[in-house]
Amino acid sequence: MLGISFQSLFIFSALFRVFLIIYGEWQDANMEVRYTDVDYFVFSDAATLMASGKSPYERSTYRYSPLIAFLLMPNSFLHQTWGKFLFSASDLLVGLLIQRILKLRGVPEKLCTYSTMVWLFNPFTFTIGTRGNCEPIICSMILWILTCLMNGHVLQAAFWYGLVVHMRIYPIIYALPIVLLLDPRHFQPGKKPVLVEWSSRTLKPSSATSSSKTSTTQYIWNFCINMITWRRVMFGIISASTFFVLTGLSFHLYGWDFLHEALLYHLTRTDPRHNFSIYFYHIYLHYEHEFSILEKLISFLPQFIVQLVLISRFALDLPFCLFLQTLAFVAFNKVITAQYFVWFFCLLPLILPWSNIKLVWKGLACIILWIAAQTNWLAWAYLLEFRGKNVFFQLWVASLLFLAANTFVIMNTICSHLYSPLFQQLKQGGKLKQGYER
Amino acid sequence: MEARLLLVRINSVLQFVLIFLTIIRSYVHASTTGQAGYVDKYITKTYFEKHDSLIDPEFDNFIANEIPLTLCKVLEDGNCVLPTLSNLHRSVIGEGSHRHLSSSIIFKFQPELKIKLVAHSCEVIMTERLPSGVFADPFELQHLVQRGVFSDAAVFGDTNLELPSFRSNRSVVEIHMSIGSKMLSRHHDKFEINCEVPLHARYPPLGLGFSRVEFGQPDLFMCCSLEVNGFKRSCAYLPTNNISDYKASPLAWEIPCGIREHAGVVSAITYCFALVSALLIVVLSFCYTDNKGSSKPKSL
Repeated sequence: MLGISFQSLFIFSALFRVFLIIYGEWQDANMEVRYTDVDYFVFSDAATLMASGKSPYERSTYRYSPLIAFLLMPNSFLHQTWGKFLFSASDLLVGLLIQRILKLRGVPEKLCTYSTMVWLFNPFTFTIGTRGNCEPIICSMILWILTCLMNGHVLQAAFWYGLVVHMRIYPIIYALPIVLLLDPRHFQPGKKPVLVEWSSRTLKPSSATSSSKTSTTQYIWNFCINMITWRRVMFGIISASTFFVLTGLSFHLYGWDFLHEALLYHLTRTDPRHNFSIYFYHIYLHYEHEFSILEKLISFLPQFIVQLVLISRFALDLPFCLFLQTLAFVAFNKVITAQYFVWFFCLLPLILPWSNIKLVWKGLACIILWIAAQTNWLAWAYLLEFRGKNVFFQLWVASLLFLAANTFVIMNTICSHLYSPLFQQLKQGGKLKQGYER
Repeated sequence: MEARLLLVRINSVLQFVLIFLTIIRSYVHASTTGQAGYVDKYITKTYFEKHDSLIDPEFDNFIANEIPLTLCKVLEDGNCVLPTLSNLHRSVIGEGSHRHLSSSIIFKFQPELKIKLVAHSCEVIMTERLPSGVFADPFELQHLVQRGVFSDAAVFGDTNLELPSFRSNRSVVEIHMSIGSKMLSRHHDKFEINCEVPLHARYPPLGLGFSRVEFGQPDLFMCCSLEVNGFKRSCAYLPTNNISDYKASPLAWEIPCGIREHAGVVSAITYCFALVSALLIVVLSFCYTDNKGSSKPKSL
């Protein structure tokens, strides 16, 4: 393996992103097909409206927090590429945070670098920021929350959590595992939580702690009995306050337009237009009449069950739990667009050092199957959208295959993962329990 | 003394009358100007200020009776010799859900009219009443305006880009095309304007395979500006009925639609597939053992 320093890789990644942004401007000016994502024009127009004292929601299809428009206000008086540089900087920040999180857990330098490369050189990720999509900001906030928790800064984590849920609803699914993790056996007064080192993944769990399956059950039982701890309460209060203050302020400034476009739209979104979700054709075929409560519940049940089970089984290995939850959330969602993939791509490097999966051939099988299922879907979507063929049924079958591929990836990830709780259990008095035999 | 008082009174009355007449005159002038009429920047905007949705007979009535068509008066052309439509060729080009509505319009005109039309920044305005089932993206049109393809463009009516056709209303696209440069570079008595409007298909109602959307005739206007009136302009309507072959073969776009018979099978399999996938993950999660510490770890 080549010895590549992280600094060199990081600088190269940064320069590459600058090049892509400049190239994107050239392509937009000289070619009919634009490099820039259509969402970027939505953000820019909304920011321009905000800069002139108007509501960003006067821009049709602007469905984000006003904070995004606020961040992009320099687009109108500095340069139109300001937002792209901001998003790409967030993208690079994700790379830095991945490196930091892995180092905190004692992952060797080389493995850290390879894992970080999975993010920095993923074609999805380096195009998403440079094309002007805001997801890297959300990803960097999620990783920052993880870093704060690992360093014992619970209140700071709570603030950022409230902020990120205000900006994007989906991180609400992380609430329960985070709260479970704020257990008195991990966080004790005046003490930083003790992280489980990467090197301990080779050790057998001792009989004192018994299996982590029991530990997780114990944690959940303890949670039910002693759920009210001051850390959990403070986390809840601060994150909820942050969310409600920002949401309230936005509502005060922009009224029902904000509430409908930035919040309610995402909570109730059912899009009959073709997308990767298996539900799109089902929704289109029934769009002329409202779904019954029972039908809505049945649609929601798989998602709900999977989320609950993943949390109950893997919450203590927080990065792993978040990755699985996010991948499952996207796979079972009623609407799936390509930008959602970034939500779990930023968490993938955090679990790779604990994965036993061999690149040849199991790892490659997962990658190839996932890409092949996506390509298959894209091919049928192309025939429908750009050739005008009636291939709704085939496209729907392709979406079933995509869910099957996602399920295959989730199952293989679980099978090959070396379970490693994020924190060590502390006895009363702050001493470590004998967690692992050496 | 009395004579002087009388003169003062007469003077006051005269002044009052003068002021009164001035007021009346300006009112009449304003009324006359309103009736003589100038069209605002967008012809269609006025229609949607008075109506909630596009209804063809109402729009026809709007064109016939509510738009001040005073171009001849403004050009001080007693014979009102304007360019006439020589040919109008229409087609829908492209494939799939994103196509272009192409209009090729050929005008004939008297050569002596050329200078006047160029001097008054005349343009052809085309209003396209889109059928239910297709829409134009106003932001895309603005991009074309910025690139100089049109001198101006706007969409009125239902501009929602996402709803299927059975949940949306019709819209009107108004395209402005400057004719100045085209006239100067063309033959001395003809010029041609080509217009391609990008359109997108909405999801149509369920059917047997394809849903047919038919286009009507565009409404064409010749509008000219006089500097003193800024954006306000005078227009003349250019009838198209007698020169196109619309009646022989209406312009149509076949859009693929969902098949109603699929509903039961698709819903059942969708629910089952989601449930089975979820159960697989659930079962594996419960069967997952944590004795991975004894497994051979990843080597560097």
